[in-house]
Amino acid sequence: MSKLGHVVDAVENYNRFVLDQVKRARTDEKFGRELLGRWNDIKAKIPVTRTPTGLPLPRLALPEIVEPGEIARYLFGEGLPGEFPYLNAAYREMYLEPVREIESFEKNAGKVDKKLPQAEEPTRLFSGLMLAEDTNERFHYLTRHQRTHRLSTAFDGPTLYGIDSDADGVFGKIGEGGVAIDTVEDMVRLYDGFDLGSPNFSASMTISGPAPIIMAMYIAAAKRRFGPKVVPKLRGTIQADIFKEVQAQNETIFPIEPSLRFLTDMVEFTTREMPRWYPISISGYHIGEAGSTPVQQAAYTLSNGFAYVEMFAGRGIPVDQFGPRLSFFLDCGLDAEYIALARVSRHIWAIGMRDVFGAGPKAQLYKLHTQTSGRSLIAAEFKNNLTRTAAELVLAYMNATNSCHSNSADEPFTTPSEEWIRLAAHGQAILLEESGIFKHTMNMLSGSPGMKAVERAVEAAILDEFREIERLGGVLAAVEERYQRSQIQNAAHRYEQQIYDGIRPIVGLNRYRDGAEEIPEVKLVRTPRRKQQLQVDRLAKFKKKNAENAKRVLDKLAEVADRGENVFPALLEAAEVCSLGQITGRLQEVVGRFRPMV
Amino acid sequence: MPSPIRILTAVPICDGHDSAINTINLEFIRHGIEVIYLGYHRSVADIVRAAIQEDVRAIGISSYNGGHIEFFAAVVDLLRKKGADDIKVFGGGGGTITQADAAIMKRKGVGKVFFAGTSLEEMVKFVHQRYGKPRTKRPRPKTRDQELAQKLTEIEDRKKIRNSKFEIRNSRKARVIGFTGPGGAGKTTLIDELVLRFLNQDPKGRIAILSHDPSVVGEGALLGDRATMINSQDDRVFMRSMATRGQAGGLSPATHDCLALLARSNFDYVIIETVGTGQEAMPFQKNGIVDLTVLVMNPDYGSRLQLQKIVMLDLADIVVVNKSDLQRARTAHTEIEQRLEQNRRSQQLIDTVAKRHRDPGVDRLFALISAY
Repeated sequence: MSKLGHVVDAVENYNRFVLDQVKRARTDEKFGRELLGRWNDIKAKIPVTRTPTGLPLPRLALPEIVEPGEIARYLFGEGLPGEFPYLNAAYREMYLEPVREIESFEKNAGKVDKKLPQAEEPTRLFSGLMLAEDTNERFHYLTRHQRTHRLSTAFDGPTLYGIDSDADGVFGKIGEGGVAIDTVEDMVRLYDGFDLGSPNFSASMTISGPAPIIMAMYIAAAKRRFGPKVVPKLRGTIQADIFKEVQAQNETIFPIEPSLRFLTDMVEFTTREMPRWYPISISGYHIGEAGSTPVQQAAYTLSNGFAYVEMFAGRGIPVDQFGPRLSFFLDCGLDAEYIALARVSRHIWAIGMRDVFGAGPKAQLYKLHTQTSGRSLIAAEFKNNLTRTAAELVLAYMNATNSCHSNSADEPFTTPSEEWIRLAAHGQAILLEESGIFKHTMNMLSGSPGMKAVERAVEAAILDEFREIERLGGVLAAVEERYQRSQIQNAAHRYEQQIYDGIRPIVGLNRYRDGAEEIPEVKLVRTPRRKQQLQVDRLAKFKKKNAENAKRVLDKLAEVADRGENVFPALLEAAEVCSLGQITGRLQEVVGRFRPMV
Repeated sequence: MPSPIRILTAVPICDGHDSAINTINLEFIRHGIEVIYLGYHRSVADIVRAAIQEDVRAIGISSYNGGHIEFFAAVVDLLRKKGADDIKVFGGGGGTITQADAAIMKRKGVGKVFFAGTSLEEMVKFVHQRYGKPRTKRPRPKTRDQELAQKLTEIEDRKKIRNSKFEIRNSRKARVIGFTGPGGAGKTTLIDELVLRFLNQDPKGRIAILSHDPSVVGEGALLGDRATMINSQDDRVFMRSMATRGQAGGLSPATHDCLALLARSNFDYVIIETVGTGQEAMPFQKNGIVDLTVLVMNPDYGSRLQLQKIVMLDLADIVVVNKSDLQRARTAHTEIEQRLEQNRRSQQLIDTVAKRHRDPGVDRLFALISAY
């Protein structure tokens, strides 16, 4: 049995354990009394907050139960926010307004914990366009009113495929859909003006195939600007999710096994040298966008996650060291499953990590970034996309996501323009800051009977998926058999069919459609030719300047890769003087190119 | 009945969005169209080379990652440069291609751009209407590939099959190697890996591949072998994908005639890949059309008894157990070895892991084929 089979058993065992506790609470009087006492203690310690209209509310809402069995079901089955099995939230408090003036006129203000952490804003907006300096300008624009600077970087096609801007036939793709990065010099320009070592800064980079190379370039750029001592202080995330690339997104550059090997090399390095870095973001987003059902999205993301844990642990990296540095990324659309998809994921992850991999509390947390669904947005009557995104944001925050990106309404046509990005960001501020839905009370929308019903159905369906993957021999074997790919493709086909058949209503497309086809007038962001040429010229200059050194470090890199040693130190050296394409090309000579799956 | 329309579909370089094109491909083949699918992340040169070799009526490009104006225009330009502008270009990209973009693309020679919300039926109808009529006057071929490709189309489309088995045997210059075996055994990957070794070994050598996929009910076919090939996207490789067009046994009615042409056309090797075959298949027959027969087996063939029924195990010159990293591979090797011993002829048995880069088993197979 692979570890995934053990996870299925562990979740089922845990659910049985909860039922046993319920029974015990009802039959064992002493245990029942203990629970009741604990429950009353918890309730007594909940601070009270006051809304702007003067209404007192508890900072944590709990179900109104007094019967020990039900208390056991809640405490063991769901857990308080921040407590195992983390159904409600990974942390005790999220999105809440800091306890401040409102409390000062409370008589019992003394009871309030004044040291609540000043949380980071959960808003993290994805952007990347044209050349590094253009994206840099966008980053400064986006963060100008924010306390914390959480940047999220989108790369252009050539970068995602590990090739250079001067490669044959990619000219028109330079800076399209993301920023063009060829060298460490581009990386320096990209984050110029930001203090990379500051605790208030974090950089997220959405790239997987060439992730170890881009990571090395980021480190090289940070060292150039702040010296070698900055390395342990670097905070951020790199996506580096190979499995989902092979399953859904198709941005893989080496065959699966060496891709996983280079990933593990990087994780080994960052776990040791960069304790504040998240070296992998296990991503369901692209699985969802490629057309999977929500259950497939959650199931493949979790099973991929467990497969990585098995792999990293197999390399000898302690699970309690790398476990807290894993993070997740989910899509949030409008299907009913999204009412509880992330809640259930958090639950399964915690149980699997604790009971199968022996992980401690910090490594049990399913830390989640959510993005609203790009696929749910359509071109026809595109302003409706604001409403779609708003509804998805509510669902995402109901699931206690740790950070969130809201899509711009103009995304179906173009790299978002500033106007629509601003509206997307404001959507989050309206929800979290203006509205009282999330800022006063934890659990404000948790635990409705409908939500519980969705949780049960979704969890059962996810475990079924795990059993199938297990039957195929585990995640890697299933991937090589194209299991997940075919499932996703089938689901995508069904989804399209449902839209055409009208079973799946899409306003403006198959419902309430205006006779006249609306031609949206949006301001398009396109990379001008002269900028594309500038990127090519810069790269030529860089290659010329470093030609001799590049040859030396590439030879060394190839030797290390051929011997099967950890390539990351050699990548760090190579990143100083080689372009992305040079490094990719050399590694491909040693380990081969990815053979596409269809 | 006219021959099915052949079109090539692909996703541009640096773009992995294949969800739309997969759906469209399926719809096309259900409506009688033969689709040669080149896959995603494909360069202009790869697309144009494939379109010319396959001699398709049109290229359908699905682009979601930007840069479409340049990319589509580059495909049209290269076709023109190669004298192949009777191959038309169409495509789409959901909402990423605006009306204004489409207008520019049309000016640059793109036949049609589909926008978000276009139904699959509309696309099928478009292909039938626009590319359904036979091409009457073909341009004079400008390149060797183009000449060959047009002749192959003539052979494939003519009513009467000449069945030139005799011709193949007597006038060929190339060595002809047949690859057969059950679906999913890894024939295409193995061929692609052998091609890499051949191209590296002989810097001037040329190779042709005749690859087969089954036609579905309704007469369309998804010819997808190119999509998983990496090394065979090369100017020294001429590949042609054929649909079986109703013939059982792993090949197409026109295979022999096409092979005869390829075998006398200045290639060092011609490789034929059959469709995934069943136990009783003997696609190349005894003393048939190939010099060397390679049977590619999957270790998961079922019980030992199943081996007795596989006719090709008697006929193949080389038997390859691919995916020999699978648990069952060792058992498979032993069982097949015993099965071959019964034949009392010198058949070779080789284990490979074709998916692995620089696999020593594939090296051995290549050496064996080269020495033949």
